[in-house]
Amino acid sequence: MKKKETRRFWLTIPSKIVQRPIIWEIGHKFDLVTNIGQASVTTELGIISLSIEGQRSEIKKAIQWLEKMKVKVEPVEINTIEG
Amino acid sequence: MHSHSKGFFTGLKCRECGRLYPAEATHVCEFCFGPLEVDYDYATIKKAISREKIASRPKSMWRYKELLPIEGEPTVGAQVGFTPLVKADRLAKELGVRECYIKNDTVNYPTLSFKDRVVSVALSRAKELGFTTVACASTGNLANSVAANAASAGLKSYVLIPADLEQGKVLGSLVFGTNVVGIHGAYDQVNRLCSEIAGKYGWAFVNVNIRPYYAEGSKSIGYEIAEQLGWKLPDNIVVPMASGSLLTKIHKAITEMKKVGLMKTTKCRIHGAQATGCAPISHAFKNGSDILKPVASPKTIAKSLAIGTPADGYYAIQSIRETGASCEDATDVEIIEGIQLLAGCEGIFAETAGGVTVACAKKLVANGTIAATESIVLCITGHGLKTQEAIAGHCGQPRLIHAKLSEFDEKIYHADFKK
Repeated sequence: MKKKETRRFWLTIPSKIVQRPIIWEIGHKFDLVTNIGQASVTTELGIISLSIEGQRSEIKKAIQWLEKMKVKVEPVEINTIEG
Repeated sequence: MHSHSKGFFTGLKCRECGRLYPAEATHVCEFCFGPLEVDYDYATIKKAISREKIASRPKSMWRYKELLPIEGEPTVGAQVGFTPLVKADRLAKELGVRECYIKNDTVNYPTLSFKDRVVSVALSRAKELGFTTVACASTGNLANSVAANAASAGLKSYVLIPADLEQGKVLGSLVFGTNVVGIHGAYDQVNRLCSEIAGKYGWAFVNVNIRPYYAEGSKSIGYEIAEQLGWKLPDNIVVPMASGSLLTKIHKAITEMKKVGLMKTTKCRIHGAQATGCAPISHAFKNGSDILKPVASPKTIAKSLAIGTPADGYYAIQSIRETGASCEDATDVEIIEGIQLLAGCEGIFAETAGGVTVACAKKLVANGTIAATESIVLCITGHGLKTQEAIAGHCGQPRLIHAKLSEFDEKIYHADFKK
């Protein structure tokens, strides 16, 4: 069995899909365990800090799926790249 | 839990939930993912620090060392900071305020931007924690500063950049012998990779796992402004915002000076300045909101401020509100005018972020937020030589003549003086 890892992200969910149960979908579409740290969801915008546990390749797939839906996926260390 | 071996700081504390952590290379709360911040023993600092003691020390940011998070003496960047606070009478007249000062970090040592302040704290602390390799991901000033300060401290350094970054910007890091790695990929992919690298290799990533210490370096601007004004604060300070960290740290510095007895009153409004092409903090503030809408593709010449999802944006808005201040943003045209106004009035050549600060200050005065009877300090954070391309073509051309006095008389002197 490949090694599992845990990574933490800030997800920014656009208003168009803010009502979709995205976190639930991650858990069902991919072999991943999710855990919410903080969340602020309004009709305009959803901001969720999420820890995702699973195999690296599976985490990668989930990120691609999220990005396809225009969800912004940033590491919890946002602004890793500074001026 | 104060330990003298740790100097005057006691550890790290989550900004969100207040949970305490030891003073290690960590930066995110394990429970709520909130950012960690350095926690100090202010009662002990109050007994140890005084205006006289500070005055007796060398003129660098380390004269306030009790309020900076290292255990011993600084080992990297001991000469950083204490940049000039320039009384800018000509600019004051142009802006329409009683008194104006420039906190001139364009001449900060050694790489001509305020980043030397944060990097000298980050690397000094990284050495205390036993790191031998330091790193950062940056598109400009931070990379130059890490490369230079690491070189002088004999630390191995890695600078990660987006692969498509202009070569001219890379040179300012390469010259110091740092390892520059260009990464192909979209901004968010590069961002995620950097956070993975930071977690995996045990390097001191200055703005990732060392971030709580790193960010504290910005406070020194606040202490210096107060001391240089004779332990007084101006009515207003205008601060450029990228992540929003600098503004929150200047605010922290001001509240700390009261806590440790360096100042009795600390009334001062701290205004934020952004570029209109990437102004998530300014827009949220103007909308009366706490929620920052990310800017997916920033469009501004002020690249050093172009952060679409500012990590400290929320806290910056709190600081601005708490001090009764405001926010403005400036277009590219206004930024260039700001750079020229500062250069033409005071002989200070600022990078684009400086143009943003000047332009926003002008707007704040024009719209009555800052009254004509008030004083103002502008934080100018980087040298114009770093972003020359932004103003190329906007400053006119030299007039050409042949080596003949008659031509000088006719084309230059007569044109200028005998109109």
